[in-house]
Amino acid sequence: MKWHWSKRVLALVVVLLFVGIAGDAAFSQEKVIKIGTLFPLTGPVALAGQRCKAAVETAVEVINNSYPDIKVPLAAQEGILGGYKIVLVHADHQGKPDIGKTEAERLFDQEGVYAIIGSYNSAVTKPASLVAERRKKLFMCGCSSSAELTKRGMKYFFRMAPTDETESQEFVTFVKWLNETKGADLKTFGVIYENTEFGKHAAEEAKKAIEAAGFQYVADVAFNPGATNLNSEVQMLKGKNPDVVFGACLGADYILWVRTMKQLAWLPKVCLNYCSGYQDPIIAQQLGPDGDYFMGTTGYSPELAELMPAVAPVEEIYKTKIDPPVPFDSDSIQEAVATFVLAQAIDKAGTLDPDKVAETLYANEWESPLSLGGKVAFAPGGQNIKAMSVVTQLKDGEYRRVFPPELANSDPIFPIPSWDKR
Amino acid sequence: MTLFLQIALDGILNGMLYAIVALGLTLIWGVMDVINFAHGEFLMIAMYVSYWLGFLMNIDPLVSWVASSVFVFLLAFVTYKLMVSHLVGKPALSALLATFGLSMFLKNLCLNRFSPNFKLLPVTVLSGKTIPVGSLILSLPQLVIAVFSLAVIFIVYRFIASTRMGWAIQATAMDKEAAELMGIDTEKIYGLVFGLGGACVGIAGGLLPTYMPVHPEVGSLFGLIAFICVAMGGFGSITGSLFASLLVGLVEAFAGFYIAPIFKYVAVFALYLVIVMLKPKGLFGW
Repeated sequence: MKWHWSKRVLALVVVLLFVGIAGDAAFSQEKVIKIGTLFPLTGPVALAGQRCKAAVETAVEVINNSYPDIKVPLAAQEGILGGYKIVLVHADHQGKPDIGKTEAERLFDQEGVYAIIGSYNSAVTKPASLVAERRKKLFMCGCSSSAELTKRGMKYFFRMAPTDETESQEFVTFVKWLNETKGADLKTFGVIYENTEFGKHAAEEAKKAIEAAGFQYVADVAFNPGATNLNSEVQMLKGKNPDVVFGACLGADYILWVRTMKQLAWLPKVCLNYCSGYQDPIIAQQLGPDGDYFMGTTGYSPELAELMPAVAPVEEIYKTKIDPPVPFDSDSIQEAVATFVLAQAIDKAGTLDPDKVAETLYANEWESPLSLGGKVAFAPGGQNIKAMSVVTQLKDGEYRRVFPPELANSDPIFPIPSWDKR
Repeated sequence: MTLFLQIALDGILNGMLYAIVALGLTLIWGVMDVINFAHGEFLMIAMYVSYWLGFLMNIDPLVSWVASSVFVFLLAFVTYKLMVSHLVGKPALSALLATFGLSMFLKNLCLNRFSPNFKLLPVTVLSGKTIPVGSLILSLPQLVIAVFSLAVIFIVYRFIASTRMGWAIQATAMDKEAAELMGIDTEKIYGLVFGLGGACVGIAGGLLPTYMPVHPEVGSLFGLIAFICVAMGGFGSITGSLFASLLVGLVEAFAGFYIAPIFKYVAVFALYLVIVMLKPKGLFGW
């Protein structure tokens, strides 16, 4: 007897449902914690996003497996919470806040992730972390630097990196130190920044810090990321000719900015960069000698390895996950720190209840050998109050530590030699 | 005054870059009534060709632009044969949607093959070089692109105005059926024009890696600005697109400096809106 087609469809649906339910049951018995990552894997800052993703994957590999020789928390054991393994679900926000918000919703509602780690761009972290907060889920932020993010009084949001507020103060302190100890006579300041959450807040914090220190803020230059040229922007800087420029330019825009300054034959005496294209070792390599003498804050670079000996073996694993194999940079390492701290908190809380884990995160000081400060501890709002960075200067492809003096391995070179005298 | 002239110079140099990108687009529209939405991606492909020739074989963009141009000519020709030829004469939206699909395909193909990472040739013959002219500074890479742009526009203009093939192109643009009755192979003309449009943008893309990093998204804004230049100049008018490109470059430079850099594209798009409202067929449209 032939089956009617509708019976066949019904049978197929029943079989599929059974397979699905059985699959789910098997998956739930595997003791896994699904964690989402949300980074710009395509778009103009994709290079940074891919490295952040690889850093989280590295941390998860160390957490899930036993690496007794690696001196970071949880490395010696396999998994957390009595054998739970972390499984990552990756999402790409392309550097766009709207996509970031939608992807965060998808990760929580459809993929069922326990927490999200991300999102590199502050502009994306802001709406994506709100998605987590509304669902009472944890959002671990490695390197988004907008100070605003941790001033929202959120309960489930935690950020590892220093903010643009602390970086601005560090820059101004450094310039004062140059004036006092090296007779630099630097008085006027300008800021060039992308017109995004990250750039605008960096500029606001810069202006506050510069004016509070009694310096003159003479040039405020915002630009649209991904522009076809930056001629007007550099002309404006050149017209105002500040002694010091603070830069908040990411990825390809940083390259275009440096190249345009060369084309228009202009440079400030000192140029300090927030967490941006400056810290990217691939960009440093691509710019070659043109990238020399610029400065910026650095939470990690291979030149800081002697201060952070635990990084090297973790970095070896990281290099296997990224093409081309490059060392950690200031940003990506913070995403690994975020992953380790979350895993430690779950392990210590002894539960997957997000409220309990959030309370545990606030209540403890966490060992963090991958952080320059060595520790992580959170203030209300979720800012890591132990976050530290040093001022470095790029020379011959190396990030030389120039400030503070007790951590320096080189004297700063200033003023930046003009383009025709290199 | 020096600053004013320097800004005008920057605007003209950028305008000339837009002009060579827009030239291909206006040619294709003028002859075939087809808007090539993948034009920006053709630019991006040309940049990759130039970059890889520089990276792998140490060939400077000053030489590799020839290869970029030929490669994109062939790519455009194949695109015409495989896709666009089936859409000529159909509603304009069909070709627009098809070339939009092509732009997505090319962008994602490059994402897949070359990764989203931006790539820059560290050293080229032109990179970072400048020529001082009195108190003004001429950026050599931008100047070379502007000279190429002028030369290509002149050659294409003369080719269309003064050669038998050019007359055949004009005849095809005016009345396809009448041109066919006169013995013109319009299919060949269409293929040639689509390829020529690609070759023009290929020259620009071949030279751009002298100062601009290459990544799969790099062509998007160029494609959009080229479209605006073509619409403002009048679809199909080479003179119009040149004039509009220079206008866009100047507005961008002056608005960027005298209002705010963040305002430069706002000013360009505002100008576009005003012009298409006052003259819907563009400044030189008919």
